Formats: sequence, C-alpha cells, structure tokens
Amino acid sequence: MKGRTEDITTLIELFRSSGWDEMHIEIDGLQLFLSTDPAARLGAGTMALPASEPRSVPQAAAIASEVSAKPAAAAIEIPGHWIAITAPNLGTFYRSPKPGAAPFVEVGQTVEASSDVCLLEVMKLFTTVKAGHKGTIRRVCVNDADMVEHAQTLFYIDPS
Amino acid sequence: MAIKRLFVANRGEIAVRILRTAKALGIETVLGVSAADRDSMGAQMATRAVVLGPAPSAKSYLDVNLVVHAAKATGCDALHPGYGFLSEKPILSKMCAEEGIIFVGPRAETIESLGDKLGGRAMARAAGVQTVPGTDHIATLQDAKAAARELGYPVVMKASAGGGGRGMFKAIDEAALDASFDRASREALAAFGDSRLYMERFVERARHVEVQIVGDGEGKVIHFGERDCTVQRRYQKLIEEAPASAVPADTRRRLHEAAVRLTSHARYRNAGTVEFLYDVDRDDFYFIEVNSRIQVEHPVTEETTGLDLIALQLRVAAGEGLGLEQHDVRVAGHAIEIRVNAEDPARDYAPSPGRITEWSAPTGPGVRLDTHACAGYLVPPFYDSMIGKLIVSGADRAQALDRLKAAIDSFRLTGPKTTLPLAAFIVSHPDFRDNRITTRWLEDLGPFESARSSAHGAH
Repeated sequence: MKGRTEDITTLIELFRSSGWDEMHIEIDGLQLFLSTDPAARLGAGTMALPASEPRSVPQAAAIASEVSAKPAAAAIEIPGHWIAITAPNLGTFYRSPKPGAAPFVEVGQTVEASSDVCLLEVMKLFTTVKAGHKGTIRRVCVNDADMVEHAQTLFYIDPS
Repeated sequence: MAIKRLFVANRGEIAVRILRTAKALGIETVLGVSAADRDSMGAQMATRAVVLGPAPSAKSYLDVNLVVHAAKATGCDALHPGYGFLSEKPILSKMCAEEGIIFVGPRAETIESLGDKLGGRAMARAAGVQTVPGTDHIATLQDAKAAARELGYPVVMKASAGGGGRGMFKAIDEAALDASFDRASREALAAFGDSRLYMERFVERARHVEVQIVGDGEGKVIHFGERDCTVQRRYQKLIEEAPASAVPADTRRRLHEAAVRLTSHARYRNAGTVEFLYDVDRDDFYFIEVNSRIQVEHPVTEETTGLDLIALQLRVAAGEGLGLEQHDVRVAGHAIEIRVNAEDPARDYAPSPGRITEWSAPTGPGVRLDTHACAGYLVPPFYDSMIGKLIVSGADRAQALDRLKAAIDSFRLTGPKTTLPLAAFIVSHPDFRDNRITTRWLEDLGPFESARSSAHGAH
C-alpha cells in the first residue's frame, strides 16, 4: 500500500507525544502495536481499567525510553504458526556460550526441541534456554547482552 | 537527593506508597513485578516496570538474585524493599552493598543481629532495656517460690525444652505454685523428655505498644511517638492507632527513651519499630523485638506528626542525615488505621481473592486511603490478602473514631469478601471505644458472626 510507511511514522510520532502507554491499531490486515514498555506484547492481557483511573503521566514515556534505550517498539506481523521462545525469568540475554564464540543459533538454522538457543544470566549464574520445539529459527528478537524480562519473546521458530 | 533512580522490590499498596514519595522527590523509579502484577497500579505509576518472573513469590519477589540483577540492569542506584518479602533478609542488604546500590534499610549485620530473638534481647539488655523478667532453670519448689516472690505474681512456669505454649503453667499465688510445680516438672519430662523448668512474669492484661524511630546510622536516632496495635488476631494486627492514649504519658516517655537508647546503641540506620509488651496492671513494659523495615502501620505516625517516613528513609539511606532534631517532631491529634483484607471474617478469615466489581472509597476531612486496588482490579490469590489501609485522623480519639465509623460505613466495595464488616464491628464496640482492650480481646470474643450477633442482642 502506497504511503503506508509515512502513515506508520506519523502514528509513532503521535503516540510519542500522546503520553499514552499503549496503542493497538488494526487496518486492512496491518496490525500496529506500540508501547512504552519494551516487554509489552500484543494481547498480553492488558487490564481494562475504568476511564477515571489515573494513568501514568506523559513524562513516563520519555524516561522509560531513556531507561530502556528502546522507544516505542513496533511489532510487524508475525505469522500465526510461528512459535515464540520466551524468557523463563528476567536476566541478561547472551547469544553465545562465551564472549567471542559463535552464537548458539542463527536465523534460518534448524533446531531440535532440545537445542540450546541462548544463555540467561542472573547475578553471574548462567542458565541455558532450550528451543522447546523442532523448527527453523525465523527471528532473533533481542540484542546480545540486553536485559530481558520474564515471558519476553527471545526468538521465533517456524515449526513447519 | 543523591538517589537518582530507585528500584522498588515490592508490590501492592506499599509499592504505590514508595513510588508516590519518590515521584514527589523527583526520583525515577523502576518497579520489579511478577507476571501477575504487570498491570498493577504500581506498574502504571512507576517510570518503568520490569517483570521479574512468574506469579509465585518464590520465583519473583522472593528471588534475591533476580531482584538485585534487575536493579543493576535497569541502572538503579538505590533499592527500597518495602515490608515483608526480602525486606528483613540480611542477604539483600549485603548484595546491594557489594553492587554499589544504596539499600534503603539497615546494614546486613544490624538486620542479622536484630532478626535473631536472642540477639535482640541481648542488645536490649546491653542498652538497659528490660525484657519480660524471668529466671534460669529452676530445680526445686523452694527455688520456684523464692523466684516468684521476686518476680511478683502471677507467674508462668515453662518447660525449658518446650515451645508453642505447651508445658506452660500459670500460678496466681504461692498456693497455686505449690499445687502445680511437681506436676509441671512431670509433664515437662513426659512431653519433652526434660523436666527442667524456668519461670517468667505472667502478663495478664497486655497491650501491644511500639515506638517508631529513624536512625541515621551514625548513632543519632529520633523517635516519632508510639503506636498502639492491641487489636490482633493470631498475632496479626488489624487496627493500629497513634498515640497510645491508654498508656500514661509518663510511661510513654519512658518507652520512647528505651527505644532510642536501644537503637542508638546499635547505630541503627533506617526507619525501625521497637515493639513492647505493655503490662496494664503493673504499668510497665517489656521489649519484644525491633522490626528493621518500614511497617504497614506507619501512616498513623505520619498523620500525627505530619512527616513523610519514606522520604526520611531515603534521606538516611543516601547518607544525607535526618535533617531534623527531636524537638522538631510534634505529635498532634489522633489517627487510626484499619486494614482492609480480602478475607471472609465469617469463614474464619479464609482468603477471598477475585475481581473487585465495585469500589467507591470514602473521602472527607482526615480520611486517607493507602491502596493499590480499584474497581476492576483482580485480587490475585498468590500474595498477602491486604488490599488497602484506611487511615482516619481527628483532633482527638473520639473525633477520629466518629470519622472512621462514618468512613467505613460509606465504603462501597463488592467482589471479594473483606474485613470491613469486622472493622465496623470493632470500632463500634464499647470496649474499643472506651479503650479497655487487651491483645487477647478479639479472640476472647469468639468467632466473628456469633460475637456480632450477641453484641446486637445486647443492645
């Protein structure tokens, strides 16, 4: 669709200046989900609050992006059959078994359910995260050494 | 304020309470939540909320590694533990110190020595603060009689090897001691395989009175008056008030002095509460323990002093000192707090989680509500059942009570069952209004429904 990129850019700018916490739009098969919370995911069960409930103040968006260095994350369409590999708890995400080594997995690589896909570090205690499903890695959603939260999507696997 | 970004390692109303003060002081906040609390009021208020782990506390709020890692990874320079959860675990204070994060609480060694009952008692003795008077092992009836004469009747004989109330004998006079001493030894032997006994003064009518202090960690400690938390059920406080007007003013002064002496001796840093058992008949008090955290009932002290205790905690943690002297603290008026728990008083206080369908909170002069709940809020089944604290103040106790009664009556809350009907019953009870209750009062009334119906029948 012509002009779609401009439309999205405009929407992101509107969202930034709005002081809202989240925005979710669906038009003609396009889903756009914007949030100030880097861990927020589409359909993650946002509670319906009464209109009178005071929401966080506009400045929150600015500080949140500074804290997380990750402003309004736009989620582009993910095919419904892809499976998310999520973080079991908060921690620091590492793609390789040690610094300088090759990553556990790359996009396009096929994995078994028992394959290690990354490390999660909590106060110098490292645990490996398994793929959990057989398939092809389609997307790596987190940068190496970033903090991730509980239930945050780390990878998408295409099981077909 | 030296603190720029504060990590709040708690949930519920206390998270909201801490975030409010941080915001007022211009401090950025990061709230660590469980998956069950990601949409909570605190998560909305905080500059940023991070999800630590799944709903169970053991995998989120109680995991000290996760909490400290989250504070570090989000660039926080200080951490407030609230109450409960990890707040009195020395390891949290220690790990924060190792990571260069300001812990809003005492040093690890202080928490450790105060957390241990015997350690706390030793500290009290060193500071010349009395604990419940008692004896070492007593071997013979003759020794028991001599000891009882010194302690004063009534006394209680306890099995040295016992615990949890088993093997206890109360004696109101020498004849009763005569009659029960041998039996007490024999039963101690039968129950615990050890016949040795010791003796303590028995407090027939006790009130729970505690002193709020804040120490700067350098030996300077200021007190903020006392609180009376005598209305309890199974050692759970239900109603707290300040000041403790049932205790003579002179005794209250001695309580304050004892609390300050004990904690300055320990070079205590942080807000803290020194708990005492007040003996109504002897007009005397005994040290129980020090709670080295902010307490649930701190708002009644804030309402009678006009001070922000969370702000003071942050100041002393940041090494900025108390910023005030004892003579700056003035206690005025009277404040009472009731705890609103999602529990069913008619079903032995069984937890009653669920969706709040109606929430219309009272307002008016002297009414304060500390809560994280609202209409539509789902009270999760994983945590403490407290959903709010209603704090009402007035010029004196009578006015505070009248306002409190009206506030409870106008509180519209549907969904979970709550302790509001119990609070309404207590604050209207003549014993409570006349302030002649003891720590056993509520339990002596029996199950809530029968107590309520007999009270109705009596009027």
